[in-house]
Amino acid sequence: MSPLRRAAGLLAATALVSAACATGGGSGTATPAGPSAAPTASQGASATASAAPSAAAVEIDWYHIQNNDPGKALWQELADEYTAEHPNVTINLNVNENEAFKTKLATLVQSNTPPDLFQSWGGGGLREQVEAGLVQDITAGVADWQDTINPGAMGMYQVDGKQYGIPFDLGLVGFWYNTDQFEDAGITEPPATWADLLTAVQALKDAGLTPMALAGGDTWTGAFYWAYLAVRECGQEGMDNAVVTGDWSDPCFVKAGEDFVELIETEPFQEGFLAAKWDGAGSGAASMATGNGAMQLMGQWLPGTVAANSDDPENPPEWLGWFPFPSVDGGAGAATDGLGGGNGFAVGRDAPPETIDFLRFLVSEDAANRWGALNTGILPTTVGTEGSVTDPQLVDVLAGRAEAEFVQLYLDQATTPDLGAAINEAVATLYAGTGTPESVAAAINEFAQQ
Amino acid sequence: MANVGASRVRNALFVVFRYGLLLVIAAAIVVPILFAVLGGFKNAGQIAASPIALPNPWILTNYVDALTSESFWQQLGNSALVAAVTTTLVVLFAALAAFVFARRAFPGREVAYTLFTLGLLFPSAVAVLPLFILMRDLGLLDNPIGLALPQAAFGLPLTIIILRPFFRNIPTELEDAAAIDGCSSFGFFWRILLPLSRPILAAVAVLAVVSSWNQFLLPLVMLNTESNWTLPLGVTNFSTQYTTDTARILAYTTLAMIPALAVYVVAERQLVGGLTAGSVKG
Amino acid sequence: MNSRLNPSRRDRLGRERLTTILLFLLPALILYAIFVLLPIVQAMRFSFFDWNGLQPLTDFVGLDNYVRALTNSVFQGAVGHNVFVIVLSLAIQIPFALGLALLLSRRFKGRGVLRLLFFAPYVIAEVITGVIWTLMLQPNGLADGLLTGAGLGDLYSPWLADPNTVMAAMFVIISWKYFGFHMILLLAGLQQIPSELEEAAAIDGATRFQATRYVVLPLLGPTLRVSVFLSMIGALQLFDLIWVTTGGGPVNASNTMATYMFDWGFERHQLGYGSAVAVILFIFALVVGLAYQRWVLRRDVDGALTGGAA
Repeated sequence: MSPLRRAAGLLAATALVSAACATGGGSGTATPAGPSAAPTASQGASATASAAPSAAAVEIDWYHIQNNDPGKALWQELADEYTAEHPNVTINLNVNENEAFKTKLATLVQSNTPPDLFQSWGGGGLREQVEAGLVQDITAGVADWQDTINPGAMGMYQVDGKQYGIPFDLGLVGFWYNTDQFEDAGITEPPATWADLLTAVQALKDAGLTPMALAGGDTWTGAFYWAYLAVRECGQEGMDNAVVTGDWSDPCFVKAGEDFVELIETEPFQEGFLAAKWDGAGSGAASMATGNGAMQLMGQWLPGTVAANSDDPENPPEWLGWFPFPSVDGGAGAATDGLGGGNGFAVGRDAPPETIDFLRFLVSEDAANRWGALNTGILPTTVGTEGSVTDPQLVDVLAGRAEAEFVQLYLDQATTPDLGAAINEAVATLYAGTGTPESVAAAINEFAQQ
Repeated sequence: MANVGASRVRNALFVVFRYGLLLVIAAAIVVPILFAVLGGFKNAGQIAASPIALPNPWILTNYVDALTSESFWQQLGNSALVAAVTTTLVVLFAALAAFVFARRAFPGREVAYTLFTLGLLFPSAVAVLPLFILMRDLGLLDNPIGLALPQAAFGLPLTIIILRPFFRNIPTELEDAAAIDGCSSFGFFWRILLPLSRPILAAVAVLAVVSSWNQFLLPLVMLNTESNWTLPLGVTNFSTQYTTDTARILAYTTLAMIPALAVYVVAERQLVGGLTAGSVKG
Repeated sequence: MNSRLNPSRRDRLGRERLTTILLFLLPALILYAIFVLLPIVQAMRFSFFDWNGLQPLTDFVGLDNYVRALTNSVFQGAVGHNVFVIVLSLAIQIPFALGLALLLSRRFKGRGVLRLLFFAPYVIAEVITGVIWTLMLQPNGLADGLLTGAGLGDLYSPWLADPNTVMAAMFVIISWKYFGFHMILLLAGLQQIPSELEEAAAIDGATRFQATRYVVLPLLGPTLRVSVFLSMIGALQLFDLIWVTTGGGPVNASNTMATYMFDWGFERHQLGYGSAVAVILFIFALVVGLAYQRWVLRRDVDGALTGGAA
């Protein structure tokens, strides 16, 4: 994957003028017929065509999952602004909650009617849709503005070198910690190495605190540990190789399990963690909010969710700090490599060419700045807009993202949904005490080879 | 005399025992419900910090916001409409079918009956995709009334299975008498059998209402426009990709429960009845 | 009675009746065939393909999906959990619902309120049931608080988090949620029994227990048998409540056939495999259902065929 760090100033200069949006439905074909190759050609044409005054009416079905304000309102505003400038375009917004959306999208694509523009996480899920011919190759359509988007994030939406979606958000998993409790336990510096982390866990235990909150009932949370350790042990090359070829037999994956077991054996997690969901009643987030768990390995959304489980749902607790995942001695990966993911949009097979123009508008500098300024945990991917995020905790995450040369997409999204679930499930056997590092690596490899 | 006294003591003991037992059970049943109702008066922070404590302070916004939001009433209306149509269809059609299954001998009866029970044996989630395509082809998507059709269809097996033995239990003498009075099959069904079966019809109607009321998967894939949503879909708006507002969900669903319980209260009168006993005896 | 008719009249009647019968059946049959049978048959077709739900149905694999499911240890475990729930439902839940229905069928003060309360759990959506019980059973939740308050804190453990206890905990939740369904059926059944019969038994010197045992229960038989049947089928199809409470975990310790099916078919996009699991579940239920119909429900049906009252 390409390096994330870019000279922001240089790219900010890249003309991202919203006037470019004036290109529109010149071609007049609302639904391009034929397989995905055909629409690409017509988009290329429409992107360069000047706006025809009598543009044909076009409808864009747009599915997003920011179903709460302020994000929901912002998307609505942007859609309204766009249609005001492009009266021939109608945007049909379909706003669903994350899980509800997944079910709904599955039904839509399975019945062979993908929406024009829809939430996507890139990776293996997108690859499946590409292979089924459900999404458009938009490489040509975005060619003249693709540099305005963080290249690492863009890479997550590429399949075999072609672009199928555009990210508007990229976050990083790291350790969120309770600074007060660290102080109480006499820990002055956030752990920099895996050994430091184990020492910190012991110090917290000695102080009578619960070192970590883990949402074992949502297995993807536990899988973060294993995946991050694999990134440390195997490095970018090892990870890319495993994800692409499906060969997970490298001993570094066993090593990752062994590292994780070292931690598990210290019994760092809260009581009843195996049943804890990520969020809501009795969850990992609620645990941390109530001081029952000094650390939690989680994405950039943690502050918002911990706040939602506290008396002050609007404001994340001030005691919340962030440090990057510790380095692991002898591993092939760099200490700055990250594990993360985010949100983006894919363009459906039958989408009218105007969709790409609309998409460009949605990730314009202006739109990205407005997203960043909301400080909702959406970390904009439009180059040069990082500064719009002002929340100090999110700024830390963004700093980590800027330092990362390589960001591994969450494994359950980088791989196909079934392999992703198999990884999560296999890793869960480690902290449930029924598996070994060897059995986990073997189970994943065996599944991937099928 | 001694006998009567003993039986009186026994009766009194029985009454005490009955109330005691019922109170214990009632507590076990009520406490979790109370949890939900009270949870709606908390915020998520209180729920996380001390799940069993009383709300402190009492937070009214969860209930007030729901009651004053337009979408709540809209969803309530949609849910009520879907439930009403679903229930009418399922009870009427199932009663018609159960009548002949219970009281008529005809070739292929058991095969047809078994066919109807099959719907109960197959996990309906898997059928959602073909069903979605069918509904799309019929132009019934995003239409609350359209949604009622498959819901009613999926309710038929259960309702027919329940009604059949009840219809069977209506004494044949009644039907013979009705036939002598010149009653057609439908006349007997409509004017005698249905009125006599009020308790069980009330029961299956309540079950149909509740099942329609809580349906999630079908409405989710069938209804697009937010103004067509039913209550269970509305609840999803209290969750986001990363966060769930448990307190609001509890308040919303507590309120959403009330209409369904109200239906039960109305139907319950039929279940208590007493009217029917005399006539059934025939 | 008119069960002994001369052949010619019977034929005429038979023809007339067949038309009538068809008219009675038609509305239900049409609705059911279109919206239930047709989609189910289509879904069954998926089970013979290796299909992620996206591409066209081309990768025909015959019975591979079935073999894979039946030899999978997680699926086998799920079958065991279904059997566990069936057995406990029949042993505990139905008798409990029956007892309550018997108590609540008598007139006494407060009966209406109690009936309402006891039915309320059935009305509560599954998702909320899951939330409520998670809150009650989690560490520092109600169960923990009550036991600790009674000085029995050691007895508490996070049951839902322990693979060894999660099914038992789930059974408590299942019973709490669904007994109202059986209660309301049995109440309706009791309603159909003329109170005079019981009174007559009392006059003959039967105790309340005897009257219940020898008069009420036999007459309640048909309802009870339906209740048992639906309970078994319900336990086989058990899905929502487990899915929202534990998601089948921890480490598959509370998977049922239906949660396993949903997990694979929908979460992991292996719709072909998921459909095969659905068909296996269907066959299980069919065997149970047919056996039960043949040996138990038959009695009720036989009566109808011979045309005589019990």
